[in-house]
Amino acid sequence: MSTTSFETTAPLVAAPARSRLPLHIVVFLAPALLIYSIFSIYPLVDTIRLSFYAGDQTGAQHFAGLDNFRMLLSDPTWSGQFWNALRNNLFFFGVHMVVQNGIGLGLAMLLSLPRLTGGSVYRTLIFLPTMLSVVIIGFVWQLMLNPLWGIAPSLLKAVGLGSFFGPWLGQESTALITISLISVWQFVGIPMMLIYAALINIPDDLLDAATVDGAGPFSVFWFVRLPLILPTLGVVSILTFVANFNAFDLIYAVKGALAGPNFSTDILGTFFYRTFFGYQLQVGSPTMGATVATAMLIVILIGVLIYLFGIQRRLQRHTF
Amino acid sequence: MADVSIHGLAKSFGPVDILRDINLTVEDGEFVVFVGPSGCGKSTLLRIIAGLESVSAGEIRIGGRRVNELPPADRKIAMVFQSYALYPHMSVYKNMAFGLKFAKTDKAEADRRVRQAAEILKLSALLDRKPRELSGGQRQRVAIGRAIVRKPSVFLFDEPLSNLDAALRVNTRIEIAKLHQELGATMIYVTHDQVEAMTLASKIVVLNHGRIEQVGAPLDLYRRPCNVFVAGFIGSPRMNFIKGEVRGISNQSVTIGFAGAEMKVDLSGKDLAVGDMVTVGIRPEHMAEQGADAIALEGRVDAVERLGEASYVYMKLASQDDVVVRAPGEAHIAAGDLFKAYFSPRSTHVFDAEGRSLRMDVKP
Ligand SMILES: Nc1ncnc2c1ncn2[C@@H]1O[C@H](COP(=O)(O)OP(=O)(O)O)[C@@H](O)[C@H]1O
Ligand SMILES: [Mg+2]
Repeated sequence: MSTTSFETTAPLVAAPARSRLPLHIVVFLAPALLIYSIFSIYPLVDTIRLSFYAGDQTGAQHFAGLDNFRMLLSDPTWSGQFWNALRNNLFFFGVHMVVQNGIGLGLAMLLSLPRLTGGSVYRTLIFLPTMLSVVIIGFVWQLMLNPLWGIAPSLLKAVGLGSFFGPWLGQESTALITISLISVWQFVGIPMMLIYAALINIPDDLLDAATVDGAGPFSVFWFVRLPLILPTLGVVSILTFVANFNAFDLIYAVKGALAGPNFSTDILGTFFYRTFFGYQLQVGSPTMGATVATAMLIVILIGVLIYLFGIQRRLQRHTF
Repeated sequence: MADVSIHGLAKSFGPVDILRDINLTVEDGEFVVFVGPSGCGKSTLLRIIAGLESVSAGEIRIGGRRVNELPPADRKIAMVFQSYALYPHMSVYKNMAFGLKFAKTDKAEADRRVRQAAEILKLSALLDRKPRELSGGQRQRVAIGRAIVRKPSVFLFDEPLSNLDAALRVNTRIEIAKLHQELGATMIYVTHDQVEAMTLASKIVVLNHGRIEQVGAPLDLYRRPCNVFVAGFIGSPRMNFIKGEVRGISNQSVTIGFAGAEMKVDLSGKDLAVGDMVTVGIRPEHMAEQGADAIALEGRVDAVERLGEASYVYMKLASQDDVVVRAPGEAHIAAGDLFKAYFSPRSTHVFDAEGRSLRMDVKP
């Protein structure tokens, strides 16, 4: 009884405080809120709404409940492509996590060596591709790897490795990893910069203390530096995850929306594009497109939630 | 336990010479303090002994063994950093045990040592805490504990008290002195604070611009500074320096005129000539408001600082020299008064034009 009476009185207490919300705060918040609502929140919500509708040949839409999702996950015409795209996307993400972030960490370690000269030059050069357009990157790599007039086969031949060359972008077995590595090459500067910033933030005294304590370079890294940059590695991982599951442009630039050969480079982004806009013989479907988009949103949401509640809570930021 | 000896050591960072011609012996079990102004190379010298910096020339021996090529961990040293340098992600226990892991100490022995050190440093209740949950003084003790558990022959301290507040600083200073007595280990301690140096050291090394100015027991440096720099650096408030001139030289004494006064001091005059410029140094605590002593300087009082047990009288002489006098706490002196400060010629120091002490009993 007493609790309910508290609950009923609470709004009465809160009401005058809320009505005193200063007008200027409302005025200052309004423009951002308005723009954000119109261009971000509304499309998002409307996409989710659309994913519950189905359209017919006339273009009329009617509520279909979870039918679209059922179709996406189990109807052979849709589910094969969806699972293929999801699998490829996971592979794409895996390559970035291991190769891009691994190399990024290694480069950051090298850059933070006290005796390194010309560090800022390396830093700029490695970061440069990040600022180039994906279309240019895709085009340039396609030219370089071209078996006929590309520079890669002759370069390999020059060092006696000519027999290793293959039409990597054209083979079903190698196309996805090749595209993943091109993307890694372009974006390795980002984890490098973030991790480098975290590394130079660790006071030298701490590393000296570990050295005096008898830790060799590897132990200093493993027991002192790595634990201290874990929060940054967490952020890098989640950024990689979100970027990879929203990726589209590189594959579209190199392989087109069909993500060939035989959909071997198809990821959720390209799959969504074909579904929504249609491509060649396939007719676009706004409602199925919205369903794929919502599925992507859910995949990313699950990943981010796992990170936020499973991982980030255990990582402690350290102040020095 | 070990002694430390340094021969002909020099260090430069690129073209900049930081340390030059350092020769020094630290006896086994001695408490040596490196003192000098900021940037004079104290930390660099300590880090060279620790093995964290290489040398440009010279040799370092610890316990008779040349250590130039040895990594820090093999030099039987432990270091306490100014910033404490505790590992923020490890508990107090793990911070202290970290070094033992690499020394391949067995688990039980490591545990015993950490708990024993924690006992000594009153950290037993805090072993599971992280450094950020500790106060400054507690962090300081963890840093010392981390050094103790390794049972080093030589302890190196780099300004360990400078991040503590004044009261804690005095306490910790006493704790460190006690620790030195209990452990009997060789300790090398860096500070820019001459009070710390005077109170802790069995031997003080005064550094300036990368050079050793003088080495000696605290009271030796106080009584017989070998040059103007040491004279000014040791003692608080600073020694008064007044320009003077040689007026006469006899067998065992020299007559010096300065600031309108004249005095006869026992000096060897053999390197002096009449008319040479000298610097006369008098410590504020060796001057008094009155006295039977023959010499007096008169001036007008600019300001009086009252500390309770003493008052510092800042006065300006007719010769425009500034002089500080340590007067009794209850002295009735006010700014604007005429003031006469008496002192004995025996308590003065005389330095030649290059700043070297002319007293016969001074050894550099
Ligand atoms: N790694 C370094 N590179 C270049 N100069 C340095 C380095 N470490 C110290 N120095 C210089 O050496 C001088 C002495 O430094 P330091 O030993 O830290 O002085 P102190 O501890 O006496 O204040 C300073 O002028 C400092 O700028
Ligand atoms: Mg220093």
